[in-house]
Amino acid sequence: MKELLPRERFIRALRREPVDRVPLLYRMKAEAKAKLARIYGIENAATGRKHNPELELRLGNDAIIYQIGINADFSHRHIEIGETWHNHFGVGYGKSGLEGRTGEEEIEFMKTQEFWGPAKVVPENFPNFHPIQSMEDLKNYTWPDPADPEMLAPIKTLCEEYQDDYFIIVDLSSTLIEAAYAHIVGTQKFFLMMFDEPDLIAGVLDGLTEYYTELGKNAIALGVDMIRVGDDVGAQQAMMISPKVWREMAKPRFDYMFKEFRKANDELFIKLHSCGDYSPILGDQVELGVDLSGLMQPTGGNKDQVGLKKKFGGDISLIGGFDVQNLLPRGQVEAVRQGVLDTMKNLAVGGGYIFSPSHYILADVPVQNIYTLLEAQRDFGTYGRYPLN
Amino acid sequence: MSEPELQIPEGWEGRAPDGWEWQTLWEAVEEGDHTYSHDRVQQAIDADIDPRIILDDGLFPGFNLQGDRFSEQIIFIPEMLITARAMKAGLALIRPLLAAMAEKPLGTFVMGTVLGDMHDIGQSIVTIMLENAGFKVINLGTDVHPDRFIETAAEEEADLVGFSALLSTTVYYQKVTIEEFEKAGHRDKVHILIGGAPTTQEWANECGADGWGKDAMEAVKLARRLVAEKREAWV
Repeated sequence: MKELLPRERFIRALRREPVDRVPLLYRMKAEAKAKLARIYGIENAATGRKHNPELELRLGNDAIIYQIGINADFSHRHIEIGETWHNHFGVGYGKSGLEGRTGEEEIEFMKTQEFWGPAKVVPENFPNFHPIQSMEDLKNYTWPDPADPEMLAPIKTLCEEYQDDYFIIVDLSSTLIEAAYAHIVGTQKFFLMMFDEPDLIAGVLDGLTEYYTELGKNAIALGVDMIRVGDDVGAQQAMMISPKVWREMAKPRFDYMFKEFRKANDELFIKLHSCGDYSPILGDQVELGVDLSGLMQPTGGNKDQVGLKKKFGGDISLIGGFDVQNLLPRGQVEAVRQGVLDTMKNLAVGGGYIFSPSHYILADVPVQNIYTLLEAQRDFGTYGRYPLN
Repeated sequence: MSEPELQIPEGWEGRAPDGWEWQTLWEAVEEGDHTYSHDRVQQAIDADIDPRIILDDGLFPGFNLQGDRFSEQIIFIPEMLITARAMKAGLALIRPLLAAMAEKPLGTFVMGTVLGDMHDIGQSIVTIMLENAGFKVINLGTDVHPDRFIETAAEEEADLVGFSALLSTTVYYQKVTIEEFEKAGHRDKVHILIGGAPTTQEWANECGADGWGKDAMEAVKLARRLVAEKREAWV
């Protein structure tokens, strides 16, 4: 097959049509991106709102993914030690991994990160203040502006600059249940309030649905090809909430949101992501008309990639499935190469698949494993050649 | 596997006053009604029922049933949390009575999420389950420096220590913390358990832990088994 344009390749995979090679989508957290950018001589390795896709495109990405919404700022920005930084939702964030360290010690510590080996602990920013704790808080709460030009403007630039060749994805980040438990309400409180104050939980979820529907529509109006919705409801071994509760709390709200998106552009592609094992609701994603599912953290509860592909692969395209919890950060290069081969055999045969590690590449991934990944994905990701013949 | 069933304690009638019933408390714990659980346990105390019997015959059946359902993925985190809260409401009333009877906890467990990691939902659930199973748990929260684990374990003369980690970037600190216990000369005084999404039995072996819990119920079973195995004395 003649070589396709990245954009064309991505769209065809989403439609489960034949492609020349498996499309790619790598995402990296700031530390990993900075490490790799130094090798490629790329100076601008910005992530978050100032995301520069140059490095990812050099690695072979067929799409550009830009994140907005509740996660877009906190995980990418520098937060001072002891500082609580509030985002546009009024959620507060602090920094971990810094007990007893001064700012200078922190800088010295970061220099000790091993370039070729696994990193030592990397401080993470994390929510530490949740603005809605009562009905009173909800009544007084002001939802952010879904037309915030600061958030939306870079989308237009990315579309203008890259859309002729590349597929453009806007990632709404944590959108509904995850945005509520992890950010707005707090995890344990959210789960208890599901029973104690269901009206409060419904109010928070309605507010989020409204905000994200409008935010998504504003992004769609700028011409994006895909909206990615992230909503972590999977834990390592099982879902966090029951499939039944998810069908009551989340599914109707996503149904509304996705119908609104498609009214704005009936050719829009939609991706629904959750971390962990959410295989029990994969059939529901098909019913919601989702085009791409980021299932398959291969180390968790449901490890049966072949079975999932067989059951759902005709109705929904799949992405991910390569182990980032153990294999990528700690595996020997031979094992990483074998892992890519296994993933391609399990998921890429017959098309409808986009290769990607099952989550962001983090700072702990040795550079040689990233190289191995790139090489193996080229060797095993071409249709018409082993193992995709 | 077959659906878990309520295990009714054999001969409970003989250990309760005439006309007493536990059915409503079993159901209250199962359904997470903490108000009723508190009230019913108070009534049992007022009726002079031995606190150990309240615990075993009154509180555990509903809790164990939900624990088994949680392991079988019939119920999930929210349902387990409200059951644990209902159990705790009753336990809070009888714990001081058990202490006054010189009933010792099953063991002392120091729990926390390792340095650099702020995830706490998993270790909070394990903490609740351990407390309900009769352990004294000191939960140090998240982002815990190895030195704090060591100081607390020494102060409390802990039997067990548990480290949670949710990120591939922070599991490394499970190993580091175990090494720090060794350097401090305390490694053989405690059983060390690890858990968290990216962890496995292989990693537990590699980092030198004594055990790995796949989920909260397994962690409790493991803790009960290990606490029976003697370690070097703290003093």
